[in-house]
Amino acid sequence: MRDVVKRYGAVTAVNHVSLTVADGEFVALVGPSGCGKTTSLNLIAGLIELTTGEIFIGERQVNDLDPKDRDIAMVFQNYALYPNKTVYQNLGFPLRMRRLGKAEIDSKVREAARLLDITHLLDRRPRELSGGQQQRVALGRALVRDPQVFLMDEPLSNLDAKLRVQMRAELKRFHQDLNATVVYVTHDQLEAMTMADRMAVMSGGDLQQYDTPERVFAEPANTFVAGFVGSPAMNLIEMRLGQENGRVTLGAEGWSLTLDDANARRVAAASGPGIVLGARHSSMELHAEPGPDLVPGRVYTVEPTGDLTYAHVYLGQAVVVVSVDPQLRLGADQPVWIGFDQNRLHFFDAATQQRL
Amino acid sequence: MSVRARRRIDGWGIAGWIFLILLLFFATLPMVWMLITSIKTQFAALQYPPEWFPRYPTIEQYVRLLSPQSEVGYVFLRYMLNSFWVSLASTVLGVLVAVPAAYAFSRFRFPGRNALFFSVLFRNMFPAVVFLMPLFIMMRAFGLVNTHASLIITYLTFGLPLSIWLLKGFYDNIPVELEQAARIDGCTRFQAFYLVVMPLSAPGIIATAIYAFITAWNEYVYALTFLNSEALLTLPVGLQRFFAEYATNWPGLMAASFIMSVPVVIMFLVLQKYFVRALTEGAVKA
Repeated sequence: MRDVVKRYGAVTAVNHVSLTVADGEFVALVGPSGCGKTTSLNLIAGLIELTTGEIFIGERQVNDLDPKDRDIAMVFQNYALYPNKTVYQNLGFPLRMRRLGKAEIDSKVREAARLLDITHLLDRRPRELSGGQQQRVALGRALVRDPQVFLMDEPLSNLDAKLRVQMRAELKRFHQDLNATVVYVTHDQLEAMTMADRMAVMSGGDLQQYDTPERVFAEPANTFVAGFVGSPAMNLIEMRLGQENGRVTLGAEGWSLTLDDANARRVAAASGPGIVLGARHSSMELHAEPGPDLVPGRVYTVEPTGDLTYAHVYLGQAVVVVSVDPQLRLGADQPVWIGFDQNRLHFFDAATQQRL
Repeated sequence: MSVRARRRIDGWGIAGWIFLILLLFFATLPMVWMLITSIKTQFAALQYPPEWFPRYPTIEQYVRLLSPQSEVGYVFLRYMLNSFWVSLASTVLGVLVAVPAAYAFSRFRFPGRNALFFSVLFRNMFPAVVFLMPLFIMMRAFGLVNTHASLIITYLTFGLPLSIWLLKGFYDNIPVELEQAARIDGCTRFQAFYLVVMPLSAPGIIATAIYAFITAWNEYVYALTFLNSEALLTLPVGLQRFFAEYATNWPGLMAASFIMSVPVVIMFLVLQKYFVRALTEGAVKA
């Protein structure tokens, strides 16, 4: 995709987005609803027309090609199975439209059915299938064609939580086995993180960051990505640069944090005194006693989740979420002290929201 | 655990049943009476008190009406043919116009879409007779008075609003992703429509077609106004002539009425499941 723009009247749904998907790569387009991810996918599919820009599939510029001529397959959120056709006919439809012979269609349909373990369902109609089975058929209809690109629009979001986790693993495995190129749209950052080779985080029609999940997680490009990727979300606190005893500090109402030399150099690049401090729940430590470099706070509430317990702690006016040992007993309004892991802090320029 | 299987019958239930039976009685008695009279001899038809079960049933009237050689049959079959032609033509044309129109209203966003859609329905807010004179004057201006074309055009325009409305509901309920999937699977936009969407909307199309056909088949006022050549008359108007000319022949008149209602009844029986589905599905299908 090169410099792609889609406008609806005055509304820009996709704003100068460029991204390249390598052959065999699994790319997730992720972002909140209305961010332009589905629009981007439909642009690739050719279901809607570009305003400006260019889209290539392989070597071909496909701007003006019909969806049928783009050599793509798509899996829809609601599966979009043809309700009046059997599973067999659903799987065979894309082949029939391409005028393949009966025998060839039959062997390809059965091959896909075997791969997806739906051979016993071939004579049923979609409404007689469970959600998970419909999902497989939808996937099968994409597989039979062996297209250059698979486009998937939230294919797992209509499944219940348990099935979703299972299908997530299966999809990932299929991608590896088939060495397929996949563009996958989801609003669920966890799906993107777990499945994708690279993820494109979008917001407001803009591509915010396009990188491997590890890098997106470790080095979010801006405050939006920082807050979107990871669960619970990264704590983002607006602070101001200051000096104390010759050292660089970040101050907020009621508390401040002294930065080490490496971090001091990073924040020096800021365009102004406003800095957004980003700290994941796991890069902070909660102490019951005061100590050097610890910031005093007050427990707001505690959420046990089994493996980990999340403590919401007031630092001045800001609330941060810190993961703590579930053995630890904490009460509301209990005074606590928070230590920051200086090696894993993120800093953003408050004026531009960009990473420093 | 005891299961109470017996349904409770209370006062309201009984009253409801009585009401329904009465209603059924009023609805069916004229039909039954029509059928009984049609197989009576002319003499028996005028007897008082009337016979519920004719002692000498005869299909003489039917034979007469349906044999092209008889004088009455010749005229009657001609009316019937006229009715078929006018109803069928307006129905087929109506479907051909309503299907793409409803599809466009359902799928495309274009300037003036809502205004246009409601103007389509606007026609239905007026009783049909209001347009009788204006349409007659228009038809005269176009030289269409006393042609079947005048009726076909009229029935077409009268049937369209509801057809479009009904079909739009159908298309609204067909997920747009189905067409998108079809287009990706190798269909052109038009193929996606007629290979995927059309079969799914078949019940709706059939229902609207039946509705249009029956409306046209039964229409009286416009046919009476627009046509005057004997050879062009449709059945409802033709039957009216029978009243005038064959007033004494009640069995003949009843037989003609019965024959006229047969196509409608058959259509309904064969296609009623589509019809019911069409009317309910528009509202609740997930």
